[in-house]
Amino acid sequence: MKKILKRVAIVVVCVGVVGFLAFLYLIPPFDLLPREAFINPHTAAVAASLQKIDDPVERALAERGQYIMSYSDCSDCHTPQGAQGPNWDEFLAGGAKFETRRSGTVHPSNLTPDKETGFSGVSDEDIKRVLTSGVNQDGRIIEPTTMPWISFSNMTEEDREALIVYLRHIKPVWHKVPEWSANRTGSLYLFYPYDFAEHQKSK
Amino acid sequence: MKLFFTRGVLCMLTACLVVQQQPLLGSPAGASDEQMAGLGKTIYDARCTPCHGSTGKGDGPNAALLNPRPRNFTSGIFKFRSTETGSIPSDDDLTAAIKNGLHGTAMPDWGPFIKGDSLKAVVSYLKTFSPRFQNEKPHPTHVSSAIPSSQASIAAGKKVYAKLQCADCHGNDGTGAGLVAADFKDNWDFDIDAADLTQPWTFRGGSTARDIYLRFKTGVDGTPMPSYVGSASDKEMWDLANYVVSLGRKPAWKMNEQEIKEFYAKLDAQNKANPVQRGKYLVRTIGCAGCHSSYTEDLGIIEGTQFSGGLTFDLYPFGKFTTKNLTSDKETGLGNWTDQEIKRAFTQGIARDGRKFLPFPMPWTAFASLKEDDQNAIVAYLRTIPAVSRKIPDPEKPNIFAYLWGKFRVLILKEQIPSPAYPMRAVENQEKPVSANTSPTSPNLASLGGEGKEVRP
Repeated sequence: MKKILKRVAIVVVCVGVVGFLAFLYLIPPFDLLPREAFINPHTAAVAASLQKIDDPVERALAERGQYIMSYSDCSDCHTPQGAQGPNWDEFLAGGAKFETRRSGTVHPSNLTPDKETGFSGVSDEDIKRVLTSGVNQDGRIIEPTTMPWISFSNMTEEDREALIVYLRHIKPVWHKVPEWSANRTGSLYLFYPYDFAEHQKSK
Repeated sequence: MKLFFTRGVLCMLTACLVVQQQPLLGSPAGASDEQMAGLGKTIYDARCTPCHGSTGKGDGPNAALLNPRPRNFTSGIFKFRSTETGSIPSDDDLTAAIKNGLHGTAMPDWGPFIKGDSLKAVVSYLKTFSPRFQNEKPHPTHVSSAIPSSQASIAAGKKVYAKLQCADCHGNDGTGAGLVAADFKDNWDFDIDAADLTQPWTFRGGSTARDIYLRFKTGVDGTPMPSYVGSASDKEMWDLANYVVSLGRKPAWKMNEQEIKEFYAKLDAQNKANPVQRGKYLVRTIGCAGCHSSYTEDLGIIEGTQFSGGLTFDLYPFGKFTTKNLTSDKETGLGNWTDQEIKRAFTQGIARDGRKFLPFPMPWTAFASLKEDDQNAIVAYLRTIPAVSRKIPDPEKPNIFAYLWGKFRVLILKEQIPSPAYPMRAVENQEKPVSANTSPTSPNLASLGGEGKEVRP
């Protein structure tokens, strides 16, 4: 009797394990991690908040900017990632960690107008320079395969301006993004062929 | 650990040395020619090679998607000068271009970063790329005294605009939509557009009457824009410059409420009327070709592979995905897809056979926000891309153990999903990077799995 029970137990465990493996194998990955989690649920709310802008010209530009931002997919990299897809409550607050062999570890910046960690202190000119030429505030050139400034350089000046006006009006989020790590160790110069210590002199 | 530490210390030491050497190289007092040449090369290699290439041919790794293309220094032909047509530019012209940048292009204003001796060193290094700078001298053009703008001068300028047939390229209203403006090529066989004279903030050489007068006088070398010395008098050129200044419209950010409303309505109507042009703009700014292309070892797009796909993303645990051929080829590209199928793929992430895309690396979740007109425009433009026969392998699952373990980690243990797949990693992880030396102008598509050749996954 005990023997039979033992055998049944073994069979049940085996079937369970095989069944679980089969389940894992067959289930499409996004039945548990829904594709919809990657679509921003707050788009309408953000659009409504833009309506509160007093200056009608800024309002028109910001609306245009929201459209440009959404199809240009800024949020894919600049929104933090969680286990269940992007964390939309911290929309555009700087995001994922990119480990690259050539430029070290890169963290997309916080694009919200937060005073301490965000973009509020960065001038329009500096933002435009990054968008058209990938040249950072300190003169380094960002790899276009991480931040696709090559594509954004084809934008018209008016679209770029609209995008910046939009970024100035979204909800500020305090989110400190780590520094470009290759910079801290000083190895940036050695491993990043485009960089040059020149900017230290020019300061 | 010890090895790592030693390496770190070595790296830091080297970095310190390199950093400390810079002021020596750039020291203004008694910097020898050799030192200046070294400084020029160092700055050029750091700042300019990504676009202009290490040999100055304008073929750096970033060049392939830029419009207009980076300047090729080896030809010695420069567009925006203060010298006669056909002449090499003066040092001041080169300095100004580096310092102020070229508006409407990817060339930034390097002024805040490259100054003084460094700037001089870069200019003299640029001049070593073409022998013309050793054999010739710049011939500055004579600038006559300006005619101030007035109603009479603008009216006279309008007549000159008609007489010189400016409208053929720049259009009657100056928007750059003239009859022959459709397919311009520059001397290097790249597509260029006639300037839109109503947007003075995009004028590369500056937007004052004097700057515009200089363009008539010197021509824009390397492009179909000639010099009008001989066919127009100096007075006529000043009148024309005043007229062109008067064509400039207000930029959107300076308009008032009514104007900006009308402007956007007009823009939307224009975009609807010219879907191919609008689609080209969207496809360029979104950067479809950034992933749907093949890359060289130094992370540059191989010339001629734009839109034909071939970049492989390794998305553990989901598998390996290769970007598709977007050209209008019937067999391997989008030639046989219907408009609806293309739109469904990039806005809903559903393939032609009904398979569902992951939400990355193809950002269809973002393109879902595109308006209907813009979706149609993108399809209209994709249809115009010349066919390239290139078979793209199907997505590939990892081996069964890795696949199961990866899914277990992501779905059951709820570990962090792979960060949105950015091209950098895909480019870096190419199994067989194609050497940058294999003639960049005519890519060997066969070696990339092109020309209908089957590709083994």
